[in-house]
Amino acid sequence: MADLESPQKLSGVPPPSERVGGSRCSEISTELIRSLTELQELEAVYERLCGEEKVVERELDALLEQQNTIESKMVSLHRMGPNLQLIEGDAKQLAGMITFTCNLAENVSSKVRQLDLAKNRLYQAIQRADDILDLKFCMDGVQTALRNEDYEQAAAHIHRYLCLDKSVIELSRQGKEGSMIDANLKLLQEAEQRLKAIVTEKFAIATKEGDLPQVERFFKIFPLLGLHEEGLSKFSEYLCKQVASKAEENLLLVLGTDMSDRRAAVIFADTLTLLFEGIARIVETHQPIVETYYGPGRLYTLIKYLQVECDRQVEKVVDKFIKQRDYHQQFRHVQNNLMRNSLTEKIEPRELDPILTEVTLMNARSELYLRFLRKRVSSDFEVGDSMASEEVKQEHQKCLDKLLNNCLLSCTMQELIGVYITMEEYFMRETVNKAVALDSYEKGQLTSSMVDDVFYIVKKCIGRALSSSSIDCLCAMINLATTELESDFRDVLCNKLRMGFPATTLQDIQRGVTSAVNIMHSSLQQGKFDTKGIESTDEAKLSFLVTLNNVEVCSENISTLKKTLESDCTKLFSQGIGGEQAQAKFDSCLSDLAAVSNKFRDLLQEGLTELNSTAVKPQVQPWINTFLSVSHNIEEEEFNDYEANDPWVQQFILNLEQQMAEFKASLSPVIYDSLTSLMTSLVAVELEKVVLKSTFNRLGGLQFDKELRSLIAYLTTVTTWTIRDKFARLSQMATILNLERVTEILDYWGANSGPLTWRLTPAEVRQVLALRIDFRSEDIKRLRL
Amino acid sequence: MRSSLRPLGPPVSRDRIIVSFPKWYTPDACLQHKEHFHGQVSAACERGDTGTVGLRLSKVVVVGDLYVGKTSLIHRFCKNIFDRDYKATIGVDFEIERFEIAGVPYSLQIWDTAGQEKFKCIASAYYRGAQVIITAFDLSDVQTLEHTRQWLEDALRENEPGSSAIFLVGTKKDLLSGAACAQAEMEAVRLANEIQAEYWAVSAKTGKSGLGWCTIMDAMGFSCHMLSSSSSALASQQTVRDGEGAGMEGSPPEAQETERPSSLGCC
Repeated sequence: MADLESPQKLSGVPPPSERVGGSRCSEISTELIRSLTELQELEAVYERLCGEEKVVERELDALLEQQNTIESKMVSLHRMGPNLQLIEGDAKQLAGMITFTCNLAENVSSKVRQLDLAKNRLYQAIQRADDILDLKFCMDGVQTALRNEDYEQAAAHIHRYLCLDKSVIELSRQGKEGSMIDANLKLLQEAEQRLKAIVTEKFAIATKEGDLPQVERFFKIFPLLGLHEEGLSKFSEYLCKQVASKAEENLLLVLGTDMSDRRAAVIFADTLTLLFEGIARIVETHQPIVETYYGPGRLYTLIKYLQVECDRQVEKVVDKFIKQRDYHQQFRHVQNNLMRNSLTEKIEPRELDPILTEVTLMNARSELYLRFLRKRVSSDFEVGDSMASEEVKQEHQKCLDKLLNNCLLSCTMQELIGVYITMEEYFMRETVNKAVALDSYEKGQLTSSMVDDVFYIVKKCIGRALSSSSIDCLCAMINLATTELESDFRDVLCNKLRMGFPATTLQDIQRGVTSAVNIMHSSLQQGKFDTKGIESTDEAKLSFLVTLNNVEVCSENISTLKKTLESDCTKLFSQGIGGEQAQAKFDSCLSDLAAVSNKFRDLLQEGLTELNSTAVKPQVQPWINTFLSVSHNIEEEEFNDYEANDPWVQQFILNLEQQMAEFKASLSPVIYDSLTSLMTSLVAVELEKVVLKSTFNRLGGLQFDKELRSLIAYLTTVTTWTIRDKFARLSQMATILNLERVTEILDYWGANSGPLTWRLTPAEVRQVLALRIDFRSEDIKRLRL
Repeated sequence: MRSSLRPLGPPVSRDRIIVSFPKWYTPDACLQHKEHFHGQVSAACERGDTGTVGLRLSKVVVVGDLYVGKTSLIHRFCKNIFDRDYKATIGVDFEIERFEIAGVPYSLQIWDTAGQEKFKCIASAYYRGAQVIITAFDLSDVQTLEHTRQWLEDALRENEPGSSAIFLVGTKKDLLSGAACAQAEMEAVRLANEIQAEYWAVSAKTGKSGLGWCTIMDAMGFSCHMLSSSSSALASQQTVRDGEGAGMEGSPPEAQETERPSSLGCC
């Protein structure tokens, strides 16, 4: 440490404390001392100087102490001197060596570079020599091959020539042998032209003769001559011709088909199928050749040419179909019939059946065919575009979409389907109308025939639309079915319900038979035999109940239909039918259909309410009103008498039972449950009203409690869910009427209510208490509730 | 059924959030002059009881002559793109666009029909249950405007009377200039008043006033949907009409401008 500090001090950077002392030293200069005159001041200065001297001495001592170390350091430094000179010499030597090495390396590498250049030039020279040789060889080869009619060989030579670097050839011509090469080239070009001409000519001949091996032979030569497009177009020309001749043959066969033939009804669909199958087979067999000799990504071109022919043939078939099946005429007829007040004679919907099936089949075949093409071309593009940019890929996809979506086949089919939709709508509507008109009811059944019939028809129509494999067609049909069910068919049921349930008196129900006999008697007496009155009310009643069942089944059937369609379509969607939005379209239309189910449910509720208010209420009300005629202000004796001869509740239960039995037999369990639920609510409300009109004493209250218990017990047996809730208010009224004293209510009220939840307001409690004639009104008023 | 249509997945993009009722294109022909949703609609939204009114989506049907640009209109609206190549629509195209209106997630189902006469049979099967009917015509072709009357009649036949909001949309506005445009628009406004439709003029190519139209169409569809769902549908719609005159001099349009989404940039 001291070693380190000492040079610092030596070098004259004194620490601050000494500096202060130093500066003082200079302050206390000789002049200052001389100027001092006072002894006191002199003494002070002297003292300070003494102090400073001491400090200086101390410092000097310290410096002297360091002398040894410094000296030894100096010695060692001196010793190091010669070593440093040695190092300097070494470093210089090293630098020299490095420079030398560097120069050497530079020399060597420049030689290597030269060698490399020489090698490249050599290669180029060899290449050119090869090319020139090739050129010569090609020329010779072409001549020989052409002479031998070995066109493949000739084409291969031309191909080789075409693959040569044009600049090489250009350079070669400037060489010494320029003139010779020039001549050779000229010959070669001539040979190329000749070969092209020959191949085209031979191909044309082969095409004309239908000689497939020769056609294929020359087809393979085109790409060698750089004539890819021409080769494909010529080849497809040949293929188209084949397709056309086959199609014509098939069409002639169709025209000659006997109408009794098994496939006569779908003969045009079959013809289309044959056409599509033919093209598909062509694609299948020739795709490998195209891919091998023309490279991947060329299938699109072939298909583009083929599709033109396909469109032409489809047009012919469809034209014949339209003519032979009177398609457009039938369509116009249907259109006229669809207008509500048309006078023209209606087409029998059943007659449309075969043609509708045929159209959907035709469309399904086309969809299948187009899907096949799409898959093939897409995968071919995929291979061809594996290195291409995203843009090229999209461009190709767009071309394909355009080709397949806008081809005449697609448009024609769409048109046919448009007409089909209208005819199918007519078929559905008419058949549904027929089913409604022929509606019949069989005893013992809950529903009538039309519900099953209508849903069978709707299912059939949608199913047929589905079989066309066209999502737009399917969705359109679902929409039309939704409209049909929601408006037309629902209106039918709605109107039936609107006719209402004929209100009949108690006697009619109880003594239906006798009254019928009575009416018969009276009419016999009048000389007329007319049972129509009683029968028509019965019929109307039955019709109403059956309609209720029908509505419920409709609602259920729609849900079932939706589920069935959903599962049917999952398969279709998994095949990728109808593009990306197909599923969304389908879901949207299907949800509209499903919503109709709720509309039927609403209608059912309406009908039930109607039934309850027109049939149940007028019956139940008088039965309940008889409660008023039974006194509940009774003595012990009467109470016991009531025990033996029940005054009201047993008869009431019996009546209810009879009435509900009628409904139970002719309503579906679900509707019956809803009806009983409505009925129990009604009973509860009405009974409450009459109770509030009656008066009670203690025993009367007990009697009412008994009556209510048996009523609840009965109703519990006929309903599937608990009815206690509906009767909660009545039960609480019974409890109040059963009290010993007015104040006893407080044992049940407020904090003492326990698990009991009061449904009666305090005012109502007072009102009920007031029904007890033996309770004093002051006591009731005094109650704190 | 419901879950499959309920808009799931990522939240709606910012430009599909509508806070207040968008402004009309021209006050001479619009269905609602007011700057806000109908009171009943707003109230229902605030209560958050919109779940009870069923599916939160509206069906939009686009009809009109061929080559007026129905598909381009939809593409500009849904994808903000314009394709110069004309491609006739075959059958029906379908798009779903998700929105958030007044805090309620909401979807618009757009059915884009084919305009060609020969495809009309299939297209007409899709008219039913449309909350919004868009009758499109080409501003530069007066014939197409005349035909909208027929298109509308066909579409209305399949729907309950008074249940759909009608829009008359003139397309290809970029093709017209000055006087010709004014003339065409005047006639369109006249027709719009006659058929009680809201009129808009747009250009799918430039995207001019496209977005305003989109949002208002959606808002109308939404309002219609909400109102018709509530029990007093007819009565409230009546009040909407009654309120028209009052809202005319309402809050200045600038206040609206800021609230309207503008990120589509095409306008």
